[in-house]
Amino acid sequence: MNGLQWWCSAQTAAWSWAPRPFPGVWLLVALLAGLFWTLRRAAGEAAPGYRGSADRRRRWAWLGGVLALWIALDWPVGALAGYLASVHMLQYLLTALVAPPLLLLGVPDGAWRRLASRPGAIRFLRFLTHPLIALAIFQLILFYTHLPSVVDRLMVTPLGSFAIDTLWLAGGLVFWWPVVAPVPTRPRFGYPLKMGYLFLATVLNTMPYAFLTFGELPFYGVYELAPPVGLLGPHQDQQVAGLLMKVGGGLILWTAITIQFFLWYGREGEAEGPAPAA
Amino acid sequence: MKPNQERSSIRGTGRIVSLAAVAVCLGLMPAACRVEAPERAEAEERARDTGYRGIYLADAGPRPDFVLTDMRGEAFDFRARTEGQLVLLFFGYTFCPDVCPVHMASLAAARRGLSVDEQRRMRVIFVTADPRRDTPERLREWLGNFDEDFVGLRGSEAEVDNIMLALGLPAAIRDTSAGPDYTVGHASQVIAFPPGDGQRVIYPFGTRQADWKHDLPRLLNP
Repeated sequence: MNGLQWWCSAQTAAWSWAPRPFPGVWLLVALLAGLFWTLRRAAGEAAPGYRGSADRRRRWAWLGGVLALWIALDWPVGALAGYLASVHMLQYLLTALVAPPLLLLGVPDGAWRRLASRPGAIRFLRFLTHPLIALAIFQLILFYTHLPSVVDRLMVTPLGSFAIDTLWLAGGLVFWWPVVAPVPTRPRFGYPLKMGYLFLATVLNTMPYAFLTFGELPFYGVYELAPPVGLLGPHQDQQVAGLLMKVGGGLILWTAITIQFFLWYGREGEAEGPAPAA
Repeated sequence: MKPNQERSSIRGTGRIVSLAAVAVCLGLMPAACRVEAPERAEAEERARDTGYRGIYLADAGPRPDFVLTDMRGEAFDFRARTEGQLVLLFFGYTFCPDVCPVHMASLAAARRGLSVDEQRRMRVIFVTADPRRDTPERLREWLGNFDEDFVGLRGSEAEVDNIMLALGLPAAIRDTSAGPDYTVGHASQVIAFPPGDGQRVIYPFGTRQADWKHDLPRLLNP
């Protein structure tokens, strides 16, 4: 058994179901909890008596985002991600596609208002989270962090593995920003365009999916040479990883598209006003 | 400098730093694509020099001459039974948690990629370094998980150790004091004997399916 590690990474020792602590992950979870409290306090929403359905929804969303990250990064998922490409992919889905929109949805209103009052930050965000830039950054991160040479290099150390997880989270935040965040305002990027944006993302993740699922040989040395866990061989494990990217990623993105559709539908209904009484 | 100008200058610097960080990350990507682990680079260099990604040993002498027991309990004369064939010889144990199953899985996958004729001309032989626990039944069951045609051999601990020493490998270390789940320290390389005497190619742990796919055709027809 290896000694204490601050972050999960690939191991050469055989897999064990004995739980292991990863203090770096716990620290991140604590920091995110603290960040939420700080954001609310700074926005004046932590005052006693400040309650509302929107506030409750935000708390649940933030909690969900933190929980998704915690599950993805801590034992056993985070640790197994050093042995199985399929679990590494599950970690990617949770870190880049599930946690970021929930965290963004959990940001208090007041914090968005404060951000909107900073012209420099808005100019920077307007550029960084422009849908085309955001999609390009996310796809580059997706491509880069799934390259065999990068995975084989980075996954073997806690720092490298931390770098991959951080890139996923940052890329996910940038990707989801134009869809979920109210600041900066983009009046022309309405629901139909948001649906188109998400649909484009489902199309673009076909390339890495095909690369993993239909590859003739295992691509990642770190998983091919890892002590076996379960019944999957390295090639089948890689195929499951590819399918997970396509099906799991597709499910998340299509759920978001559906939500956007119903929001659009609701907005159109409101614009038309109530039906005239007979 | 007025406070507003100062703030704007700080924000401007922050933007430049952020954009520079993004540019550096994007700039590093092509470099990262080209980066290869050192052992991969070594294997590629060997392939350029000798045609094999494994470690080629010319004039390695004849195949070892030993007789052990196969999974049916019958004597297996290594030199006589493998004459004219490509042999991939490995010393391990079936309770091994890491190296042995990885090697066997790689070899099985690589073998499946060969033609039926090529498969017939190739033999994977697994000699157990842990004959106390690796009964013939256990060997048959464990190897069968990878490939029904893999051959499992066993002998006494002393016999197996002597064969390993004769091949230039360290003898196995069996720490039976650790109880029934003891581990066995053993050499981690696969030794390839191409058809015909005198050549040997060593494949250390870290050899991947792509390496076998590259080397097997040449090993079959040296």
